Amino acid sequence: MTIENKTLARFRLPFWQRLTDWAPTGIGIIFGYSVLFILYFPIVMLMLLSFSGDPLTGIPGDWTITWYEDVIFADIAQRDGEAYGSNFRVGDPLLLSIMLAFITSILCVIAVLIVGPVLPRIKWRGPFLVGFLMPLMIPGIVGGVGLFMWYRLVIHVKMGIWSLVVAHFVWAFPFALLAMLVVASRFDTRLMEAAEDLGAKPWQRFWQIEMPILKPGIYAAGFFGFLLSFNELPFSIFMRAGQDTLPLYLWIQSGAHNTTVPLIYAMSTIITVGSIGLTFLAIKLAFGGGQNDVRQ
Amino acid sequence: MTSDNNIAPGAPSPGRSEVLSVEHATHQFGSLVAVDDVSITAGRGEFLTLLGESGSGKTTLLRLIAGLERPTKIGGISIEGQDVAALPASRRNCTTVFQHYALFPHMSVGQNIEYGLRVRGISQSERRERAIEALNLVRLPDKYDRRVHQLSGGERQRISLARALVTRPAILLLDEPLGALDEKLRVDMQVELLDLHKKLGITFIYVTHSQEEALTMSDRIILMRSGNIVQEGPPTDLFDRPRNRFVADFMGVENLIEGALEAVSGEHASVRVGEHMLSGMWSGGDVPAAGTKVCVAVRAERVRLSNAAATNGQEDGVNRLPCQSGATIYKGKYVDRTLDCDIGPVKARIWDRDADIADLASLWWRTDECAVTKIEGS
Repeated sequence: MTIENKTLARFRLPFWQRLTDWAPTGIGIIFGYSVLFILYFPIVMLMLLSFSGDPLTGIPGDWTITWYEDVIFADIAQRDGEAYGSNFRVGDPLLLSIMLAFITSILCVIAVLIVGPVLPRIKWRGPFLVGFLMPLMIPGIVGGVGLFMWYRLVIHVKMGIWSLVVAHFVWAFPFALLAMLVVASRFDTRLMEAAEDLGAKPWQRFWQIEMPILKPGIYAAGFFGFLLSFNELPFSIFMRAGQDTLPLYLWIQSGAHNTTVPLIYAMSTIITVGSIGLTFLAIKLAFGGGQNDVRQ
Repeated sequence: MTSDNNIAPGAPSPGRSEVLSVEHATHQFGSLVAVDDVSITAGRGEFLTLLGESGSGKTTLLRLIAGLERPTKIGGISIEGQDVAALPASRRNCTTVFQHYALFPHMSVGQNIEYGLRVRGISQSERRERAIEALNLVRLPDKYDRRVHQLSGGERQRISLARALVTRPAILLLDEPLGALDEKLRVDMQVELLDLHKKLGITFIYVTHSQEEALTMSDRIILMRSGNIVQEGPPTDLFDRPRNRFVADFMGVENLIEGALEAVSGEHASVRVGEHMLSGMWSGGDVPAAGTKVCVAVRAERVRLSNAAATNGQEDGVNRLPCQSGATIYKGKYVDRTLDCDIGPVKARIWDRDADIADLASLWWRTDECAVTKIEGS
């Protein structure tokens, strides 16, 4: 009875209001799947093409791992002083990027360990937080140009790996800080008092109470530092000074030589799989096993 | 107040040695004086309660003893004769049971209890042994491997107690430990705490705002108000001999009748209230001049009803007032009756239904069952 009344009532409504009635089930489903498709289709295609014999046609097929061999062996051949088919040399940029990501990650962890536990408890935390998070809202290109002008034109220092480290840290720190604050803002400082009361010295309180409880935040900060640095392009363009990071190298290669495009597909697939693997590892480390349950 | 004064009623008996002495402690938060020149002592094995409303400074005083708060000014503080004024909390031989438990969420129950031993570098096997011993003490023998979030509130409080006791401190500080528990559990825990206190012989310093808790558990109560000690002594002292109106009110005296002091002779004071002369036990300390406003404090359960008319002349050992029946409130175990007298309403608590009188003419109470005390000051 009530269902009939409702159905009848709906038909008396103007069509746009009737639309919202079925939209959640109809349009919603189509829209949702479209987004997923737009997101993942290119990545899946890229992976398929990286195993295809003639990837530049855009049609997967004729399966082969020759592009992967090229990516890997070209560098080994170069290292051994032998000539090799393509001039795609990903080894140095890859090493540089991993090194940068590692340094950025460690810097983020240290900075976030210093700032994170204190920030939620100081008087001017609002303005400080805004200040720390502002770089998030500055476009990478603007930040890169700004840093470039500052170092080259104002204080006249030479760019190098150090400038890439600075830029990557500036870029990754706000994300790392946010990840840490999620944990740190819930940290109950009374636990530190309880530990002190039980006889723990300052370093014991830090290592045995504060660090373990903040552990998920520390892992998350390190993980963000690593991935954001590893994927960073806009800052690197301005701060590289002759050094090519991996994203930078792939970007240059994809614009320059048609013959290396299949290698970029292969390299991108490796990076994607590596990133996903790292993400799962980080999540497992931070929250795995229920050992770090911070609820009380 | 100096420590000499404390030897009077309620101070630790001379046989007991002093385990804690705080002299002239003052603590300020900005311009707010939380503890104002307070001196206290505690004897070995004593159950001492710091009683007061929130903001009276009792918790701050406890934190000063624990070392979690650095006093603004202090004459001296010693635990077991050792001067600890300069020592941080981690090196003082006392531990705290917090109202909010403060159990470490990333550790198991066993690890929590062992923590105080772990930071002292005691071996794994001895730690475990002592932790299990402590768990038995708080009657949770099977919880060693549990995680903290699997425990109920009452269990957490016991674990927190075990954690504080396992290091065998000279003084156990308890900061409203039962405040977060429900009524029934609180009563059970009171009994358990008393048992533990008896069994261990450790000095307990217990902070609470509940006069009922303080009365049940303490050897001695220190009642605080806005950073000062208002009265200290055994529970019976505070209950029956309040030093001023505030103490009487805080300890739950229902009838506080103001009048002018007529005279004090020996222990007895007589007070003029309207046309009546009331007398009671003088408990206000130094005797003020006649005519000063004082307060007659009488508990509702001491007030009795009678059908005899009040005579104008004074009866020996009895205060009697003519009255009329007023409102009655049924409370289950007893009945509270508000009686209209010419000096204002007086509350009577009637436990025995047979004692409730229909043709009521007067009410009376024994003079030695009521206190006459000051309005202000200590």
